[in-house]
Amino acid sequence: MKRDPFHRNRKIRDAMYRATIEAMRERPEIYLMGEGSHMKVHFDCPELEKEFSERVITLPITEDANTNFAVGLTLAGLVPIVDVISSDFLYRTFDAIANTAAKQATVAEPRTIVIKAEFLTGGPTTGQRIESLFAAIPGLRVGVPSNPDDAYAMMADALKHPGVTVLFEDRMISDSELDQFLYKPLQKWATQSATPPKGAVSRIPDGIIVSYGLTQHILRWHGWASLDLMWLYPLDLAVMLNNLKKRVLYCNAKEQSLLIVEPAQTFLGIGAEIAAQVAEALPGVRIKRIGAPRCVIPASRELHDQMLPTIEQVKAALKELEAAGGREGTTGRVCQTRIRQGNGALEANSRGKKPARAEK
Amino acid sequence: MTSLAAIAEAEVSPVAQYANHAELYRRMLTVRMLEERLLELCKDGLVGDLHFNRGQEAIAVGVCAALQPTDHIVTHHRTIAHQIARAAPLEPLIAELLGKKTGCNGGRAGEMHISNREIRHDFAFQLVGTCIPVAVGLAWALKYHHKTDEIVTVFFGDATSSNGQFHEGSTIAALKKVPLLMICENNHLAGNITPEYYLPTKTVRERMAAYGIESMGIDGNNVLHVMSWAEMAADRVRRTGRPYLLEMDTERLCLHKIGQGDVRSKEHLTELAERDPLKLSEEQLGPSFPKQKLVDTIGAALDLYIGRVLAEGPPEMNNA
Repeated sequence: MKRDPFHRNRKIRDAMYRATIEAMRERPEIYLMGEGSHMKVHFDCPELEKEFSERVITLPITEDANTNFAVGLTLAGLVPIVDVISSDFLYRTFDAIANTAAKQATVAEPRTIVIKAEFLTGGPTTGQRIESLFAAIPGLRVGVPSNPDDAYAMMADALKHPGVTVLFEDRMISDSELDQFLYKPLQKWATQSATPPKGAVSRIPDGIIVSYGLTQHILRWHGWASLDLMWLYPLDLAVMLNNLKKRVLYCNAKEQSLLIVEPAQTFLGIGAEIAAQVAEALPGVRIKRIGAPRCVIPASRELHDQMLPTIEQVKAALKELEAAGGREGTTGRVCQTRIRQGNGALEANSRGKKPARAEK
Repeated sequence: MTSLAAIAEAEVSPVAQYANHAELYRRMLTVRMLEERLLELCKDGLVGDLHFNRGQEAIAVGVCAALQPTDHIVTHHRTIAHQIARAAPLEPLIAELLGKKTGCNGGRAGEMHISNREIRHDFAFQLVGTCIPVAVGLAWALKYHHKTDEIVTVFFGDATSSNGQFHEGSTIAALKKVPLLMICENNHLAGNITPEYYLPTKTVRERMAAYGIESMGIDGNNVLHVMSWAEMAADRVRRTGRPYLLEMDTERLCLHKIGQGDVRSKEHLTELAERDPLKLSEEQLGPSFPKQKLVDTIGAALDLYIGRVLAEGPPEMNNA
């Protein structure tokens, strides 16, 4: 479906705030801070503003010092959530994250900090997908939730994790798409456990297509299930490798395929790391990656769509993998995993149009 | 042979007990003698990138003498003097400097990131300027969350005042009104570069007017002088809950670090050595002060500790 880069989707954001508010009620040491933070929660989460205004710290446009300031808070036992806003602003505070927070966590007693940033696609500085940069830095944990349940659980977990977590809110994941896929309604979160799923990848039966964040939805929208990484570091590939391994034993190593679909650039991206690990662990598995070009987000709205993988690219890649294995027409067995429970929801999207379906 | 009891005596005493000149001198001498030994280890390739305090010892020692044991310090990367000034146990300190697993941070932090919560040295950072906003955050938490009267003292150099983190941190410190004592160790050097290349003002304190942060300049090589003014400044920060800057004029009498040259001529360095804070203290303490006994005791302790530390191994290396 067409994605409006300026639309403010709420569900993932609300889920993160829900986890934050619940944690703040129980733990007085949690603070939320960043540029214009009071104003942001005023509009985004009035409940948090009403209940915890004194625990929101509005700081100047001093991105790097703001994260360093947060590290100072942790030295006194506090737990800061630093809202950096657009992911491009992470570049401004890269030093404080990579040099100060991450090193503090590795050379001394690790302390809890959550750094939150957002992706959208509205121009060159509106949410460049740079998560792989952070996944490469020792001392950081990096997560990209693809749905409200995961967003809630990952924020709750980050607030307990003794160390630094960089969490991304993908504003391009549309609320109406989330409605289609049977995610739990907001009111249920208050009572459910905040403990995240163990490991990153327990829900998907077949780890043949791997993706995370927004590309999860691009695939789902077209009826393809993919293994959701959730955490880019630590990168838990055990389930996927086991799945592939079983199939390697069952069929033949030469017949196995792995397609990685990522919302960020493929060059030095998470997919490159996955491909390398799989190639080392299971030689013979055919691997393809699809993602964004190595390109700054364009100013032209006509070009925005080219920053995300398309379903046509996915289909072409699967055909290529099949052809390389000499097993044309067997995608359904090897590469294609249909969403069974979600099929009903796929009948219509929020605009009342039938979404495109993947070919069998 | 010095007895173990005498060696134990060489450990600097707890913070609150040393506000007398002999104890101040002993701490400065311990810094000097440890750094001289570490320099030899550097030359032998047994230890990596260390930064020494020769000539600047009076600032760390004098300021820390003026603080309460419950106060916090945050420092730049030249940390040996501040650790000893806060009475850090020497053997774990040396082990940390050498990256050994018995170090106070398990040998992972080294000199430039060392911390020790026992002595409330909460943070040190190699990159200049980082220490300031971190100290501001710590001071904010103490004042507004914990609501204590503890203060934070942050040490930095004059060259730091041209870094963005200095200005961003000072902005937040002023806006948020945090109890922060800013100690500028003005040694007129940025690594190996002289002020005409990095400081557009004559002093650092001139810059503070823009933030509404009060400041004062003093001689940083007279340890008694440093302690007195630091007591005044710490008291002021504690009473007002606001930041204050003391700019201390000093000279670094050693290289920035091993392997670098020195732009200063030998004649100039000889001139600067006249301001050596240890020399000044020795003159003030008089000829009857038993310096040699102190040198022997401290030297024996350091040699014992270094010998033991060298036999230790490094920490394990894991993915983080």
